[in-house]
Amino acid sequence: MITIAGLRKVFPGRTGAEDVEALHDINLTIKDNEFLTIIGPSGCGKTTLLRAIAGLLPIDDGEIRIDGAPIRGPGPERAMVFQNIALLPWDTVLANVAFGLELRGVPQAEREEKARHFIRLVGLAGWERRMPLELSGGMQQRVGLARALAVEPKVLLMDEPFGSLDEQTRRLLQEELIRIWETTRTTVVFITHSMEEAVLLGDRVVLLSPRPGSIVEIVPVPLARPRGGRVDDMGWSAELLGITAKLWRRLRDMQPDLVRAPPAVAVTP
Amino acid sequence: MTVAAKRVPAGGGPGIRRPTLGIPPALGALVALALVWELLGRAVGPVFLPPLSAVLVRLVDLVVTGQILGSLATSLTNLVVGFAIALGLGLGVGMLMGGYPRIEAALDIYVNAFLTTPSLVFAPIFYTIFGLSRGSIIGLIVMYSTFIMIVNTMSAIRNVSPSLIEMGRSFCASDRQLFRKVILPAATPLIMAGVRIGAGRAVKGMINGEMFIAIVGLGKLMIDNGRKFDSDGVLAVLLVIILVAFTAAKAVQIVDARLTSWLPSTVRVE
Repeated sequence: MITIAGLRKVFPGRTGAEDVEALHDINLTIKDNEFLTIIGPSGCGKTTLLRAIAGLLPIDDGEIRIDGAPIRGPGPERAMVFQNIALLPWDTVLANVAFGLELRGVPQAEREEKARHFIRLVGLAGWERRMPLELSGGMQQRVGLARALAVEPKVLLMDEPFGSLDEQTRRLLQEELIRIWETTRTTVVFITHSMEEAVLLGDRVVLLSPRPGSIVEIVPVPLARPRGGRVDDMGWSAELLGITAKLWRRLRDMQPDLVRAPPAVAVTP
Repeated sequence: MTVAAKRVPAGGGPGIRRPTLGIPPALGALVALALVWELLGRAVGPVFLPPLSAVLVRLVDLVVTGQILGSLATSLTNLVVGFAIALGLGLGVGMLMGGYPRIEAALDIYVNAFLTTPSLVFAPIFYTIFGLSRGSIIGLIVMYSTFIMIVNTMSAIRNVSPSLIEMGRSFCASDRQLFRKVILPAATPLIMAGVRIGAGRAVKGMINGEMFIAIVGLGKLMIDNGRKFDSDGVLAVLLVIILVAFTAAKAVQIVDARLTSWLPSTVRVE
């Protein structure tokens, strides 16, 4: 279980500029095995929140605990899938997937066997010896997912992982992610800017307000998966449409804030 | 439009194949240059420009008498020792400057000053320290080639994508692992670009050192022949020097290609 209490993050302004409050009083509990999606307008601090949970970013106030222990930096129980994928272009698919295990000192034969298992799981069997740059964007992100799964994390942190992919690839990967999640049952925290993606995937959808990011609403999606039909069937149920419409309304309510205060430029250290 | 116009588009499109006679372009250029040299030499007379054939005869002569090989061995030893020191300094200091902003802040201005200063001005300094010895030449080679490699290595380390570093950290990499498994391989292409320039400058330093400080090696041979107004000999030695420079560049290129075969330009799509 992840508990976030009173989380606040401020990025110091460049000389002369004011400090930018990226996250304001975030309180959130993420249950074990839950698939949580976080959505909000660009610049609302979604990625900042995820990087804070990953331990890649010091926080200014509040705390983040995993199973009761406050986090201090990255940990072996968490693994991240990145928006820009961030594969090592000089290593094979196999070596990339085994990367996290290699860092942990797992012997080569053992880590490669494990890596092969997860490469199969993401549907890339036969591509082990290829280089990342030979792969399409969708396949590269499958490698990114396999790399994160290979360290067998309790929590999978996904930062807009399908944001740069084309529509068809994204739908396919969403479907496969649900299939994989149903077998591995890790906790997933999934950032997205796509309303459709948020309601299709999440057990709950967290709606963040623009700068400073704070939680506007948490909307449960108590519907069976796969939702919205498969890729070849666009049928959306009335409940799914209702939840989506509600989220859209809430998002629109936030717009006046956006107009009044010009969003500050994010300053990442 | 006539049939002929269709078959042969005016100006020649990108798909047009021209007859090549099966000769690689580089070899063709070499042969052409050799011919021009030979003809020009015969036209203007051997005092101004000895023809290629005369230079090659002289070169064979220098090889047979052992003069070239002895000088070459002396020069190459200086080159290898000097370049090895420069490589160690260049990569070492460059990596430290790239990895630690405080070290960069301390050294940056001096490295850039040395990079821009004509390296030959250090010749008298080495001459007073080491005298007419190998040390002076090696010192000059180091001055010629170290700083470009420092600057390149530093920016190579600095330019490693932050998202790769963040990825490494998210998988709990220690600083040491991060450097060995992420930063160093990612920086290798740019580092090797600096090493290539550094190797070229090392050859320059070697010849300048041999001609202006301690008169040894190929530089000495060149000066000796020049003093005797033996232009065949000067040009013969020049050919050998060009060959040394070419070989040095090629050697670095081969190492570079091995280390960075994963770069996009060499991705083989089947």
